[in-house]
Amino acid sequence: MTRLHRQPICVASALMVPMAILATPPWLGLDGVPPCWVVLWLLPWALADGPISGALAGAALGLVLDGLTLDGLTLVPALIGLGWWWGRIGRRASPVQRSFNLGLLALLGTGMLGLTLLLQLLIGAGGALEPSQWAWGLHTLACQTLVTGVLAPMLVSLQLLLWRRRVPV
Amino acid sequence: MAPSLRPGKKRWQGLGRLAPWLLLLTGLLLVRFSKGAGFVDAYALLTRPFWPGSAQREWVEAAVDLEQRARLTLLEQDNQRLRGLLELQQSGETGRDVAAAVISRRPRDWWQQLELSRGALDGIAKDDAVLGPGGLLGRVASVTPATARVKLLTAPGHSIGVWLPRSRDHGLLVGTGATRPELRFIVRDPDVRPGDLVSTSPASTLLPPNLPVAVVQSVDDQAVPFATAVVQLIAAPEAIDWVQVRTR
Repeated sequence: MTRLHRQPICVASALMVPMAILATPPWLGLDGVPPCWVVLWLLPWALADGPISGALAGAALGLVLDGLTLDGLTLVPALIGLGWWWGRIGRRASPVQRSFNLGLLALLGTGMLGLTLLLQLLIGAGGALEPSQWAWGLHTLACQTLVTGVLAPMLVSLQLLLWRRRVPV
Repeated sequence: MAPSLRPGKKRWQGLGRLAPWLLLLTGLLLVRFSKGAGFVDAYALLTRPFWPGSAQREWVEAAVDLEQRARLTLLEQDNQRLRGLLELQQSGETGRDVAAAVISRRPRDWWQQLELSRGALDGIAKDDAVLGPGGLLGRVASVTPATARVKLLTAPGHSIGVWLPRSRDHGLLVGTGATRPELRFIVRDPDVRPGDLVSTSPASTLLPPNLPVAVVQSVDDQAVPFATAVVQLIAAPEAIDWVQVRTR
Protein backbone atom coordinates (compact mmCIF):
# COMPACT_ATOMS: atom_id res chain seq x y z
CA MET A 1 0.00 0.00 0.00
CA THR A 2 1.43 3.40 -0.91
CA ARG A 3 1.83 6.15 1.67
CA LEU A 4 -0.73 8.93 1.94
CA HIS A 5 1.49 11.59 0.39
CA ARG A 6 1.93 9.46 -2.72
CA GLN A 7 -1.81 9.43 -3.42
CA PRO A 8 -2.72 12.52 -5.49
CA ILE A 9 -6.34 12.59 -4.33
CA CYS A 10 -5.23 12.77 -0.68
CA VAL A 11 -2.70 15.53 -1.40
CA ALA A 12 -5.31 17.43 -3.43
CA SER A 13 -7.66 17.38 -0.45
CA ALA A 14 -5.35 20.00 1.13
CA LEU A 15 -6.84 22.50 -1.34
CA MET A 16 -10.03 22.31 0.71
CA VAL A 17 -8.28 24.20 3.52
CA PRO A 18 -7.76 27.58 1.79
CA MET A 19 -11.15 27.27 0.11
CA ALA A 20 -12.86 26.57 3.46
CA ILE A 21 -11.08 29.54 5.03
CA LEU A 22 -12.24 31.86 2.25
CA ALA A 23 -15.80 30.53 2.17
CA THR A 24 -16.59 30.05 5.89
CA PRO A 25 -19.99 31.62 6.59
CA PRO A 26 -20.23 33.77 9.73
CA TRP A 27 -22.75 31.41 11.38
CA LEU A 28 -20.24 28.55 11.39
CA GLY A 29 -18.18 30.18 14.09
CA LEU A 30 -18.41 31.03 17.73
CA ASP A 31 -19.20 34.72 18.16
CA GLY A 32 -18.07 35.21 14.56
CA VAL A 33 -14.69 33.49 15.08
CA PRO A 34 -14.30 30.69 12.49
CA PRO A 35 -12.86 27.24 13.24
CA CYS A 36 -9.20 26.56 12.51
CA TRP A 37 -9.64 24.55 9.30
CA VAL A 38 -5.95 23.87 8.88
CA VAL A 39 -5.85 22.00 12.21
CA LEU A 40 -8.86 19.91 11.16
CA TRP A 41 -7.00 18.79 8.02
CA LEU A 42 -3.46 18.52 9.39
CA LEU A 43 -4.33 16.42 12.46
CA PRO A 44 -5.61 13.32 10.60
CA TRP A 45 -2.96 13.74 7.90
CA ALA A 46 -0.10 13.71 10.41
CA LEU A 47 -1.62 10.88 12.45
CA ALA A 48 -1.95 8.75 9.33
CA ASP A 49 1.26 9.68 7.51
CA GLY A 50 3.91 10.31 10.15
CA PRO A 51 6.00 13.17 11.53
CA ILE A 52 8.04 14.12 8.46
CA SER A 53 5.05 14.18 6.16
CA GLY A 54 3.09 16.06 8.86
CA ALA A 55 5.78 18.70 9.26
CA LEU A 56 6.14 19.15 5.49
CA ALA A 57 2.38 19.40 5.04
CA GLY A 58 2.29 21.94 7.87
CA ALA A 59 5.01 24.00 6.19
CA ALA A 60 3.28 23.87 2.80
CA LEU A 61 -0.11 24.86 4.19
CA GLY A 62 1.50 27.53 6.34
CA LEU A 63 3.05 29.13 3.28
CA VAL A 64 -0.25 29.08 1.40
CA LEU A 65 -2.24 30.46 4.34
CA ASP A 66 0.33 33.20 4.98
CA GLY A 67 -0.32 34.23 1.39
CA LEU A 68 -4.05 34.43 2.05
CA THR A 69 -3.82 36.69 5.08
CA LEU A 70 -2.61 40.15 5.92
CA ASP A 71 1.09 40.62 6.61
CA GLY A 72 2.41 40.58 10.14
CA LEU A 73 1.66 37.10 11.51
CA THR A 74 2.83 33.72 10.27
CA LEU A 75 1.45 30.22 10.81
CA VAL A 76 4.44 28.31 9.44
CA PRO A 77 6.43 27.53 12.63
CA ALA A 78 3.37 26.46 14.60
CA LEU A 79 2.07 24.23 11.81
CA ILE A 80 5.45 22.55 11.33
CA GLY A 81 5.59 21.85 15.07
CA LEU A 82 2.04 20.53 15.21
CA GLY A 83 2.53 18.32 12.14
CA TRP A 84 5.66 16.82 13.66
CA TRP A 85 4.07 16.31 17.10
CA TRP A 86 0.90 14.69 15.80
CA GLY A 87 2.94 12.55 13.41
CA ARG A 88 5.00 11.21 16.33
CA ILE A 89 1.86 10.47 18.30
CA GLY A 90 0.46 8.56 15.32
CA ARG A 91 3.66 6.54 14.92
CA ARG A 92 4.68 5.79 18.49
CA ALA A 93 1.51 5.29 20.49
CA SER A 94 -1.35 2.95 19.81
CA PRO A 95 -3.50 4.40 17.00
CA VAL A 96 -5.49 7.42 18.15
CA GLN A 97 -9.05 6.98 16.99
CA ARG A 98 -11.46 7.84 19.81
CA SER A 99 -13.46 10.97 19.12
CA PHE A 100 -12.64 12.44 22.51
CA ASN A 101 -8.90 12.06 21.96
CA LEU A 102 -9.11 13.58 18.48
CA GLY A 103 -11.13 16.51 19.84
CA LEU A 104 -8.61 17.02 22.63
CA LEU A 105 -5.66 16.97 20.22
CA ALA A 106 -7.41 19.48 17.93
CA LEU A 107 -8.25 21.65 20.92
CA LEU A 108 -4.65 21.66 22.15
CA GLY A 109 -3.31 22.26 18.64
CA THR A 110 -5.60 25.21 18.01
CA GLY A 111 -4.71 26.63 21.41
CA MET A 112 -0.99 26.39 20.66
CA LEU A 113 -1.47 27.90 17.20
CA GLY A 114 -3.39 30.82 18.72
CA LEU A 115 -0.75 31.30 21.40
CA THR A 116 2.00 31.59 18.78
CA LEU A 117 -0.09 34.25 16.98
CA LEU A 118 -0.65 36.10 20.26
CA LEU A 119 3.07 35.88 20.98
CA GLN A 120 3.85 37.38 17.56
CA LEU A 121 1.41 40.21 18.28
CA LEU A 122 3.09 40.76 21.63
CA ILE A 123 6.55 40.87 20.06
CA GLY A 124 5.27 43.18 17.31
CA ALA A 125 3.87 45.54 19.93
CA GLY A 126 7.23 45.75 21.69
CA GLY A 127 6.31 43.43 24.54
CA ALA A 128 3.23 45.25 25.81
CA LEU A 129 -0.28 44.86 24.44
CA GLU A 130 -3.13 47.20 25.34
CA PRO A 131 -5.73 45.69 27.69
CA SER A 132 -8.31 45.79 24.88
CA GLN A 133 -5.92 43.85 22.64
CA TRP A 134 -5.38 41.24 25.36
CA ALA A 135 -9.12 40.90 25.74
CA TRP A 136 -9.64 40.50 22.00
CA GLY A 137 -6.71 38.07 21.63
CA LEU A 138 -7.84 35.81 24.47
CA HIS A 139 -11.45 35.95 23.28
CA THR A 140 -10.43 34.96 19.73
CA LEU A 141 -8.17 32.21 21.09
CA ALA A 142 -10.89 30.79 23.33
CA CYS A 143 -13.62 30.91 20.66
CA GLN A 144 -11.46 29.34 17.94
CA THR A 145 -10.18 26.63 20.26
CA LEU A 146 -13.68 25.71 21.40
CA VAL A 147 -15.32 25.67 17.98
CA THR A 148 -12.43 23.64 16.49
CA GLY A 149 -12.57 21.22 19.41
CA VAL A 150 -16.30 20.75 18.85
CA LEU A 151 -15.97 20.11 15.10
CA ALA A 152 -12.90 17.87 15.34
CA PRO A 153 -14.55 14.66 16.60
CA MET A 154 -16.87 14.66 13.58
CA LEU A 155 -14.59 15.85 10.79
CA VAL A 156 -11.25 14.44 11.94
CA SER A 157 -12.75 11.00 12.70
CA LEU A 158 -14.20 10.86 9.22
CA GLN A 159 -10.96 11.90 7.51
CA LEU A 160 -8.92 9.53 9.64
CA LEU A 161 -11.26 6.67 8.76
CA LEU A 162 -10.97 7.39 5.04
CA TRP A 163 -7.21 7.83 5.09
CA ARG A 164 -6.46 4.82 7.29
CA ARG A 165 -8.36 2.66 4.83
CA ARG A 166 -5.89 3.83 2.21
CA VAL A 167 -2.85 3.54 4.49
CA PRO A 168 -3.38 0.86 7.17
CA VAL A 169 -1.36 1.41 10.36
CA MET B 1 23.64 -4.83 -9.66
CA ALA B 2 26.80 -3.77 -11.45
CA PRO B 3 27.98 -0.20 -10.80
CA SER B 4 27.02 2.25 -13.53
CA LEU B 5 29.72 3.18 -15.97
CA ARG B 6 28.14 6.60 -16.35
CA PRO B 7 28.08 8.36 -12.91
CA GLY B 8 27.04 11.63 -14.55
CA LYS B 9 23.83 10.04 -15.77
CA LYS B 10 23.11 8.75 -12.25
CA ARG B 11 23.52 12.27 -10.87
CA TRP B 12 21.08 13.60 -13.44
CA GLN B 13 18.60 10.89 -12.50
CA GLY B 14 18.90 11.99 -8.84
CA LEU B 15 18.26 15.57 -9.83
CA GLY B 16 15.32 14.40 -11.95
CA ARG B 17 13.73 12.80 -8.90
CA LEU B 18 14.16 16.04 -6.94
CA ALA B 19 12.70 18.21 -9.69
CA PRO B 20 8.99 17.74 -8.81
CA TRP B 21 9.69 18.67 -5.18
CA LEU B 22 11.66 21.73 -6.24
CA LEU B 23 8.79 22.70 -8.52
CA LEU B 24 6.31 22.24 -5.64
CA LEU B 25 8.45 24.37 -3.32
CA THR B 26 8.74 27.06 -6.01
CA GLY B 27 4.95 26.95 -6.43
CA LEU B 28 4.36 27.32 -2.69
CA LEU B 29 6.79 30.21 -2.45
CA LEU B 30 5.08 31.87 -5.42
CA VAL B 31 1.72 31.55 -3.65
CA ARG B 32 3.25 32.98 -0.47
CA PHE B 33 4.89 35.98 -2.07
CA SER B 34 2.09 36.77 -4.50
CA LYS B 35 -0.22 36.95 -1.44
CA GLY B 36 -2.25 33.96 -2.58
CA ALA B 37 -2.99 35.38 -6.01
CA GLY B 38 -3.79 32.05 -7.68
CA PHE B 39 -5.99 30.80 -4.86
CA VAL B 40 -8.01 33.96 -4.38
CA ASP B 41 -8.50 34.47 -8.11
CA ALA B 42 -9.62 30.84 -8.50
CA TYR B 43 -11.96 31.27 -5.53
CA ALA B 44 -13.41 34.45 -7.09
CA LEU B 45 -13.96 32.60 -10.38
CA LEU B 46 -15.62 29.60 -8.71
CA THR B 47 -17.91 31.67 -6.48
CA ARG B 48 -19.00 34.15 -9.18
CA PRO B 49 -22.50 32.61 -9.50
CA PHE B 50 -23.03 33.09 -5.75
CA TRP B 51 -22.01 36.73 -5.46
CA PRO B 52 -24.58 39.02 -3.81
CA GLY B 53 -27.42 40.09 -6.09
CA SER B 54 -28.04 43.53 -7.54
CA ALA B 55 -30.78 44.40 -5.01
CA GLN B 56 -28.25 44.69 -2.24
CA ARG B 57 -26.06 46.75 -4.48
CA GLU B 58 -28.88 49.24 -5.03
CA TRP B 59 -29.42 49.36 -1.28
CA VAL B 60 -25.77 50.15 -0.79
CA GLU B 61 -25.88 52.84 -3.47
CA ALA B 62 -28.86 54.46 -1.73
CA ALA B 63 -26.91 54.42 1.51
CA VAL B 64 -23.95 55.94 -0.28
CA ASP B 65 -26.22 58.79 -1.46
CA LEU B 66 -27.19 59.40 2.14
CA GLU B 67 -23.56 59.38 3.17
CA GLN B 68 -22.72 61.84 0.40
CA ARG B 69 -25.39 64.25 1.59
CA ALA B 70 -23.92 64.12 5.09
CA ARG B 71 -20.50 64.67 3.61
CA LEU B 72 -21.76 67.67 1.65
CA THR B 73 -22.76 69.36 4.90
CA LEU B 74 -19.32 68.68 6.29
CA LEU B 75 -17.71 70.04 3.15
CA GLU B 76 -19.69 73.27 3.31
CA GLN B 77 -18.53 73.84 6.86
CA ASP B 78 -15.05 72.98 5.79
CA ASN B 79 -15.13 75.41 2.87
CA GLN B 80 -16.13 78.24 5.19
CA ARG B 81 -13.26 77.39 7.51
CA LEU B 82 -10.81 77.23 4.67
CA ARG B 83 -12.01 80.39 2.95
CA GLY B 84 -9.04 82.60 2.43
CA LEU B 85 -6.58 79.72 2.47
CA LEU B 86 -5.09 78.67 -0.83
CA GLU B 87 -3.65 75.48 -2.22
CA LEU B 88 -5.19 73.16 0.34
CA GLN B 89 -6.44 69.84 -0.98
CA GLN B 90 -10.05 70.42 -1.93
CA SER B 91 -12.24 67.38 -1.55
CA GLY B 92 -10.62 64.25 -2.85
CA GLU B 93 -12.97 63.96 -5.82
CA THR B 94 -10.18 63.21 -8.23
CA GLY B 95 -10.62 59.41 -7.98
CA ARG B 96 -13.58 57.27 -8.99
CA ASP B 97 -15.60 54.78 -7.02
CA VAL B 98 -15.47 51.13 -8.03
CA ALA B 99 -18.31 48.96 -6.69
CA ALA B 100 -17.10 45.55 -5.55
CA ALA B 101 -18.80 42.55 -3.95
CA VAL B 102 -17.43 41.11 -0.72
CA ILE B 103 -16.56 37.51 -1.66
CA SER B 104 -14.95 36.50 1.63
CA ARG B 105 -14.97 38.11 5.04
CA ARG B 106 -13.07 37.52 8.26
CA PRO B 107 -14.05 40.40 10.54
CA ARG B 108 -13.52 38.47 13.81
CA ASP B 109 -10.53 36.29 13.03
CA TRP B 110 -6.87 36.91 13.89
CA TRP B 111 -6.67 38.74 10.56
CA GLN B 112 -9.52 41.18 10.11
CA GLN B 113 -9.91 41.40 6.39
CA LEU B 114 -12.30 41.29 3.44
CA GLU B 115 -11.73 39.91 -0.05
CA LEU B 116 -13.33 41.94 -2.83
CA SER B 117 -14.39 40.84 -6.31
CA ARG B 118 -12.46 43.60 -8.11
CA GLY B 119 -8.72 44.04 -8.37
CA ALA B 120 -5.89 45.67 -10.24
CA LEU B 121 -7.63 45.19 -13.60
CA ASP B 122 -10.37 47.57 -12.38
CA GLY B 123 -7.87 50.19 -11.29
CA ILE B 124 -7.77 49.31 -7.59
CA ALA B 125 -4.39 49.79 -5.94
CA LYS B 126 -2.83 49.31 -2.51
CA ASP B 127 -3.92 51.86 0.12
CA ASP B 128 -7.14 52.85 -1.69
CA ALA B 129 -9.96 53.71 0.71
CA VAL B 130 -12.83 51.23 1.00
CA LEU B 131 -16.26 52.60 1.89
CA GLY B 132 -19.32 50.80 3.17
CA PRO B 133 -22.78 52.27 3.59
CA GLY B 134 -22.27 55.23 5.86
CA GLY B 135 -18.54 55.51 6.06
CA LEU B 136 -14.98 54.25 5.82
CA LEU B 137 -14.39 50.51 6.34
CA GLY B 138 -10.68 50.12 5.77
CA ARG B 139 -7.93 50.31 3.21
CA VAL B 140 -6.74 48.00 0.45
CA ALA B 141 -3.81 45.98 1.76
CA SER B 142 -2.96 44.04 -1.41
CA VAL B 143 -4.39 43.40 -4.85
CA THR B 144 -4.37 40.59 -7.37
CA PRO B 145 -5.58 41.06 -10.95
CA ALA B 146 -9.15 40.05 -10.04
CA THR B 147 -9.42 40.59 -6.28
CA ALA B 148 -8.43 43.01 -3.55
CA ARG B 149 -7.75 42.37 0.13
CA VAL B 150 -8.99 44.98 2.60
CA LYS B 151 -7.50 45.58 6.03
CA LEU B 152 -10.38 46.63 8.25
CA LEU B 153 -10.15 49.62 10.58
CA THR B 154 -10.67 47.22 13.49
CA ALA B 155 -7.54 45.16 12.66
CA PRO B 156 -4.91 45.25 15.40
CA GLY B 157 -2.30 47.89 14.69
CA HIS B 158 -4.24 49.58 11.88
CA SER B 159 -4.21 53.32 12.50
CA ILE B 160 -5.44 56.34 10.58
CA GLY B 161 -5.56 60.04 11.33
CA VAL B 162 -9.06 61.38 12.04
CA TRP B 163 -10.66 64.46 13.51
CA LEU B 164 -13.85 65.58 15.20
CA PRO B 165 -15.70 68.04 12.93
CA ARG B 166 -17.53 69.60 15.90
CA SER B 167 -14.52 70.49 18.01
CA ARG B 168 -11.85 70.20 15.30
CA ASP B 169 -9.67 68.06 17.52
CA HIS B 170 -7.33 65.64 15.80
CA GLY B 171 -6.69 62.07 16.86
CA LEU B 172 -5.47 58.68 15.83
CA LEU B 173 -8.01 55.90 15.27
CA VAL B 174 -6.29 52.66 16.28
CA GLY B 175 -7.65 49.16 15.66
CA THR B 176 -7.36 46.84 18.65
CA GLY B 177 -9.06 43.77 17.23
CA ALA B 178 -12.32 44.55 19.03
CA THR B 179 -15.35 45.68 17.04
CA ARG B 180 -14.94 49.17 18.48
CA PRO B 181 -11.60 50.82 17.72
CA GLU B 182 -9.88 53.27 20.04
CA LEU B 183 -9.52 56.98 19.33
CA ARG B 184 -6.32 58.42 20.84
CA PHE B 185 -6.18 62.18 21.01
CA ILE B 186 -3.04 64.17 20.51
CA VAL B 187 -4.11 67.14 22.60
CA ARG B 188 -4.32 67.24 26.39
CA ASP B 189 -7.94 68.30 26.88
CA PRO B 190 -9.95 67.44 23.79
CA ASP B 191 -13.52 68.71 23.52
CA VAL B 192 -15.19 65.37 22.95
CA ARG B 193 -18.39 63.77 24.16
CA PRO B 194 -20.38 60.63 23.34
CA GLY B 195 -22.28 61.01 20.08
CA ASP B 196 -19.64 63.12 18.33
CA LEU B 197 -19.01 62.26 14.69
CA VAL B 198 -15.49 61.15 13.75
CA SER B 199 -14.36 61.74 10.16
CA THR B 200 -11.18 61.75 8.14
CA SER B 201 -9.27 64.97 8.32
CA PRO B 202 -10.19 67.68 5.77
CA ALA B 203 -6.50 68.07 5.00
CA SER B 204 -5.86 64.34 4.66
CA THR B 205 -3.70 63.28 1.75
CA LEU B 206 -3.54 59.53 2.48
CA LEU B 207 -7.32 59.10 2.66
CA PRO B 208 -10.15 61.02 0.99
CA PRO B 209 -10.93 64.01 3.24
CA ASN B 210 -14.16 64.42 5.23
CA LEU B 211 -15.31 60.81 5.09
CA PRO B 212 -17.53 59.84 8.04
CA VAL B 213 -15.86 57.06 10.00
CA ALA B 214 -17.40 56.51 13.43
CA VAL B 215 -19.39 57.88 16.34
CA VAL B 216 -17.89 58.37 19.80
CA GLN B 217 -19.34 55.90 22.32
CA SER B 218 -17.45 56.65 25.53
CA VAL B 219 -14.59 58.85 26.63
CA ASP B 220 -11.77 58.09 29.07
CA ASP B 221 -10.47 61.41 30.36
CA GLN B 222 -8.09 59.75 32.81
CA ALA B 223 -6.02 57.89 30.20
CA VAL B 224 -2.35 58.75 30.01
CA PRO B 225 -0.71 60.57 28.34
CA PHE B 226 -3.85 61.91 26.63
CA ALA B 227 -7.55 61.16 26.67
CA THR B 228 -8.91 58.25 24.63
CA ALA B 229 -12.36 57.35 23.39
CA VAL B 230 -14.05 54.17 22.21
CA VAL B 231 -15.88 54.65 18.93
CA GLN B 232 -18.49 52.70 17.00
CA LEU B 233 -17.80 52.40 13.28
CA ILE B 234 -20.64 53.61 11.08
CA ALA B 235 -20.09 50.91 8.46
CA ALA B 236 -20.23 47.42 10.01
CA PRO B 237 -18.13 44.88 8.06
CA GLU B 238 -20.16 41.90 9.29
CA ALA B 239 -23.26 42.95 7.35
CA ILE B 240 -21.91 44.41 4.12
CA ASP B 241 -22.10 42.60 0.79
CA TRP B 242 -21.09 45.45 -1.50
CA VAL B 243 -18.50 48.18 -0.97
CA GLN B 244 -17.13 51.11 -2.91
CA VAL B 245 -13.40 51.38 -3.47
CA ARG B 246 -12.26 54.96 -4.01
CA THR B 247 -9.38 54.78 -6.43
CA ARG B 248 -6.76 57.50 -6.65
